[in-house]
Amino acid sequence: MSFQARTSLAAQQTALLQALFAGPGAAVTPPLMAELADANHPQTVRGLAAYRRNGHAAAERALRAAYPVIAALIGDENFDPLARELWHHHPPLRGDLAQWGDALPAFLQQHAQLADTPYLGDVARAEWALHRAGSAADATPDLPSFARLAQEDPRGLGLTLAPGTAVIASRHPVASLVTAHLYGVPDLNEAARRLRAGCAEQTVVWRQGLRPRLGPIGPHAATLLTALLNGADLPTALDAACETPAPETFDFGAWLTQAVTEGLVLGVRDRPVQHRPQPIPAPETAA
Amino acid sequence: MEKPATMTASAHRHRTAAPRVGIGWRHPHYAALLEQQPALDFIEVHSENFFAPGGAALAVLREGRKHYAVSLHGVGLSLGSAAGIDPWHLDQLARLVQTIEPVRVSDHASFARGEGRHANDLLPVPLTHAALEVMCANVQRVQDRLRRPIAVENLSAYVQWRHADMDEPDFLNTLARRTGCQLLVDVNNVYVNALNAQLRGATDDPLVDARRWLAAVQAQHVAELHLAGHAHAGDIVIDDHGSRVCDAVWSLHAHAVRCFGAVPTLIEWDTGVPPLDVLLDEAQRARAVIGGDPAAMEPAA
Repeated sequence: MSFQARTSLAAQQTALLQALFAGPGAAVTPPLMAELADANHPQTVRGLAAYRRNGHAAAERALRAAYPVIAALIGDENFDPLARELWHHHPPLRGDLAQWGDALPAFLQQHAQLADTPYLGDVARAEWALHRAGSAADATPDLPSFARLAQEDPRGLGLTLAPGTAVIASRHPVASLVTAHLYGVPDLNEAARRLRAGCAEQTVVWRQGLRPRLGPIGPHAATLLTALLNGADLPTALDAACETPAPETFDFGAWLTQAVTEGLVLGVRDRPVQHRPQPIPAPETAA
Repeated sequence: MEKPATMTASAHRHRTAAPRVGIGWRHPHYAALLEQQPALDFIEVHSENFFAPGGAALAVLREGRKHYAVSLHGVGLSLGSAAGIDPWHLDQLARLVQTIEPVRVSDHASFARGEGRHANDLLPVPLTHAALEVMCANVQRVQDRLRRPIAVENLSAYVQWRHADMDEPDFLNTLARRTGCQLLVDVNNVYVNALNAQLRGATDDPLVDARRWLAAVQAQHVAELHLAGHAHAGDIVIDDHGSRVCDAVWSLHAHAVRCFGAVPTLIEWDTGVPPLDVLLDEAQRARAVIGGDPAAMEPAA
């Protein structure tokens, strides 16, 4: 096929995509009008509107699946327009809508109309981490490996963390806000009180078996997990945790027992593993 | 009346076997299907919903695969895109195919991606030589990676491109002949396009047009039929998969079976998904149509 023919096809497709991703009320552009049959026929106008409506419905559905707490906090009447706005400002890169929506936290933080709810961005970060944890690669606990902690030099050893493990630091009670809406604990009144009181919380997200989980985490454990996620070995991560300013001292043994019981820590590895999710490379724009 | 397209003797032998009927397996029916395990020959899922490398959705599909053959039906490969196939998308699909070992893999004769964006919709390609070349190359790339033929589905189009070098059956027949891909004929889409043509004043009789369309598709390429409901919205008809199959589409299904033989048939329902029994009832009717039961072609009471 000639370069010209492919370029012409690409131009046709670009014109239609531009028409669909243009903001609401945007007129059909002359290049697209020139390519469409019956461009002025009411059915063509309705057809383009149907495609736009499909996109908006997909945006609302996909974003609500990933951010149910944000939807509850701002209300459906605000959430659906927000989803459509995000669709136009940050269109999907992939043909899998579960991948779309990662831009919402920053979008919320920069949204002028949401300036009086500065906690929404951090809640969205926690929800996106929870969403991603739900689809992370499966892993099974390796309980015998914990014996290595007593038998070997811990330098160079790391902990295997659950699929999707992430730590979200915030100046707001993010864990309380999310769990109050998803699980009813604490109740909404208590979550609101913590928000008004300016309680800061660090939040841990992980997957226990097939169940994505989220909850508050203390400062020592947050530092420990963050260091492990950044590739530190266990002694280095523990040193960092113990240096973290906090009212209580850190009982690593007690924390580890609970973390293993709840499926947050799955085993002991030879060397630290980079757990941080890798960014998805940008899609090709040409074959 | 138009003459049905020729079917090869071997294709006909394969297709005179027992009817094979499946339903689209959607989230509201995950538990019910696994509990009831109704008699179905296959289930169909949207591939993209199971792209994750792990987690609950994939676990559910693995469970479903223990009981049923699975048809993996994609909506996002964008086989007609001049920007080509997204390698990330193809990687996920290849992994899923390896995991599930589906009975069929399919997607649409549409495009959705370009300039780094993906519309996540099934947008029509012009029926031109240039678009055919692009789609052939993209289909070939997918088949080379998956090491198996895929089936490509005709779509409902809500806008028409001004220039066309051929009609849609010709486009699809040539695509199949050049790439060795199969065709997935969505009977409802054929009828929806014919109804919209009628609303534009381009045809007087959509049923005759749809029959002619089906008869023009070469039978040896057809691997699966899709049936679904559609919605009338004034001056346009939308393929919304949100209601029972209408009588006209049942009659076209019978015509398709006469043209193509006992091709596996799928009942799709994606909007306002009803109780599982409704889909099973539709599947039973499809089975009767394939089996030649005249009562199944009668208009519903």
